Amino acid sequence: MKPIHSFQPPQRPVNPFTHGHGIKPGGASAPGSEAGSFAKLMGDQVKNVNTMQTSADSMVHSLLTGGDVNEAEVLTSVQKADLAFRMLLQVRNKLLEAYREVQQIQI
Amino acid sequence: MLSSLDISTSALVAQRTRLNAISGNIANISSLTDEEGNPSAYRARQVVFQTDDSLSTSGASGVKVSEIKTDDSEPLYRYQPNHPLAIEEGKWKGYVAYPNIDLTTEMVDALETTRAYEANVGVMEISKNLGRETLSILA
Repeated sequence: MKPIHSFQPPQRPVNPFTHGHGIKPGGASAPGSEAGSFAKLMGDQVKNVNTMQTSADSMVHSLLTGGDVNEAEVLTSVQKADLAFRMLLQVRNKLLEAYREVQQIQI
Repeated sequence: MLSSLDISTSALVAQRTRLNAISGNIANISSLTDEEGNPSAYRARQVVFQTDDSLSTSGASGVKVSEIKTDDSEPLYRYQPNHPLAIEEGKWKGYVAYPNIDLTTEMVDALETTRAYEANVGVMEISKNLGRETLSILA
């Protein structure tokens, strides 16, 4: 595990609408390179989780149709896909929460 | 965390293979002929486990089946001269070769395998709960 001091806390006086944190009032991602990399990260994660779920699905299908698979492996892959999906869901919830928080700022 | 699930899964697969071998041994406890029907008593099979480093990068190893050994001890000879498979000449004339399988040993092995399987399922349960608990940091 990385030591804690290696985490860089976000600088406080940052305007989220110009510094490109990926979320704009319209919901579109900012074209800046930082925002692009974050959007790419999220997209990659969604793809990863999707791949895990598809492979878990096909293994369950093969188990239920009498294929030569070990049920422990099938259930593990389902469980891994479930955990990965929950992780993604929590990240998405956190992002939306932050977005709503910013949206409610009275100007 | 996912690699600990993989390691436990490898143990489940290995223990399942061992249980398969044990059930084969018990099922063939009175098999007197081989696959082609030639008189040859069934020989017990023993599964040998080996650590498997390919699963994890963090120093922990999984387990895999390295080989399935065939017991080459002498069969059990029982004197049954009227049996159709009785040995016709030599030292064991009139005897029938039975598989050298001890039912008690096999049952104890099966029990041990079951306990090992349960222990690994328990570890998986712990890993799974750890993953969920860790997510609650974010939620």
